[in-house]
Amino acid sequence: MKINPAFVEKVLTRFIRDELTKFGFKKGILGLSGGLDSAVCAILAARALGPKNVLALIMPYGTGFAADVKDAAALARSLGIRKKTIDIASQIDAYFLRFSTKSRVLKGNKMARERMSILYDFSAREKALILGTSNKTELLIGYGTIHGDMACAINPLGDLYKTQVRELGAYLGVPDKIMKKQPTAGLWPGQTDEKEIGVGYAEIDAVLFELVDQRKSRNEVISGGLRAEVVDRIIALIKGSEFKRKMPPIAKISSRTVGHDFLYPYDWGK
Amino acid sequence: MKVFLVQMAPRLGDIKSNLDRHLEFLDRARKDKADLVVFPELGLTGYSLKDLVPDAALNPVRSPIFKELLAAGRGMSVVVGFVEERGVERGLFYNSAAFLADGKVLHVHRKVFLPTFGMFEEGKFFAQGRDFAPFQAPFGKTGLMICRDFLQYGSSYLLFAGGAEVMIVISAAPGRGIAGPVGFETSHMWELMGEAISYFSTAFVLYCNRTGFEEGLSFAGGSFIYSPKGELLVRASDLNEEVLSCDLDIELVREVRKKWTFKRDERPEIILHSLERIIRRHED
Repeated sequence: MKINPAFVEKVLTRFIRDELTKFGFKKGILGLSGGLDSAVCAILAARALGPKNVLALIMPYGTGFAADVKDAAALARSLGIRKKTIDIASQIDAYFLRFSTKSRVLKGNKMARERMSILYDFSAREKALILGTSNKTELLIGYGTIHGDMACAINPLGDLYKTQVRELGAYLGVPDKIMKKQPTAGLWPGQTDEKEIGVGYAEIDAVLFELVDQRKSRNEVISGGLRAEVVDRIIALIKGSEFKRKMPPIAKISSRTVGHDFLYPYDWGK
Repeated sequence: MKVFLVQMAPRLGDIKSNLDRHLEFLDRARKDKADLVVFPELGLTGYSLKDLVPDAALNPVRSPIFKELLAAGRGMSVVVGFVEERGVERGLFYNSAAFLADGKVLHVHRKVFLPTFGMFEEGKFFAQGRDFAPFQAPFGKTGLMICRDFLQYGSSYLLFAGGAEVMIVISAAPGRGIAGPVGFETSHMWELMGEAISYFSTAFVLYCNRTGFEEGLSFAGGSFIYSPKGELLVRASDLNEEVLSCDLDIELVREVRKKWTFKRDERPEIILHSLERIIRRHED
């Protein structure tokens, strides 16, 4: 589970630079929330591309997240990256005025997709490639909004567990204020990931590491000392979210089909 | 003998630009008076070709690309990685390494062990090679391996038994594992193999890996050369493109074999006898 953060920084900054160059981009764009993952991604991007080539969009809903907005803006300033703050309340409110709901999850998902929509719009306006900030923990347990915060062009953080992102963040000098924050998807004020999932990241990551990286079975993980109910819950989350990690299945009826046997590399000719 | 290992990042599916870069490196190598220049696995095409494999295939005897490589490499020995298809075996595509010297293609090795598991899918797109045959290179008896071939230790044994004094491994190995003190953990695995095989084969081991990213895979670099004493002579950096150069004294093989008689004492007929028994038992 431990990482060599200096080497990880080297690989990930190269990855960002290489992917952008291959696809003819100079600039990267990302959503900056004031939390750990997007802070780490912003630092990597600033080091990979130069601060002037990174645009951070800070996209709060209304004024409920003022502290996060402040932290995000302060980080952008200290990194010397460009930033733009866009309050998404007017478009979100306009929608829910027509289709009202009490579900905080529905509202949260809509906000995540609104941010995605703005990121893609600015990606085209600015000719900047979107850097994803979903970590390995979120991807595996499906703790993210499909076509929302999970949407991006490239993802430098997707093979690092949350605890590893934290280790990398400490090495990269993420400000204390952000390091010490409770992780939150920002779906509503006061929400935290760990409360919503019902398990702490340290425990989730320990289970995921055994299941995924060490390829251990459920019973092996449990006899290794991890709680059975947590292991079972995490296995259920992984299984239930496979659809978020895949392109949609295409009904195969011809001899050569996109996704099945029309197999070309992503970086074809790049 | 001056050796250049070209640790480069090819462009996926763009033979023209990869050829141009090969020619530039060869030009530079000739100016620096290199005797042997080694390029990585599938250096002319890139690694993750998938359905591009048939479009990238070259016949080393007829292809104008090989004519250019032979011309640029004149006076030197050159190892290049490419997709091979011959006129006599149409529609069979191999992941191959060609050894060029004296204006001709001296030898071609077709990768035998095609990794097909987890993120690797070579067996889906390539035909399997069938032999490990050392050949007489200008500087001595030489054997070629491609990436995974080297991790199956039967491969280097066959080259050793066949008399190889120099083993050249070309590679496109993606790095995995970030807990180690330096570089990817898998880079250490390759070095362990290099040390062990060079030591017990009393032969030079030259490992040329590529660098760059494809499909999110980070090719690790870390090319190296081990002496017939099992000593690390040079190692390239992780991740960077670079030309790793080293002067090798081929006479060292003789020196080491005077002391360590692994080669003299080798009994391939006993190995063969045992292998036949093992295979018979498999068939039972």
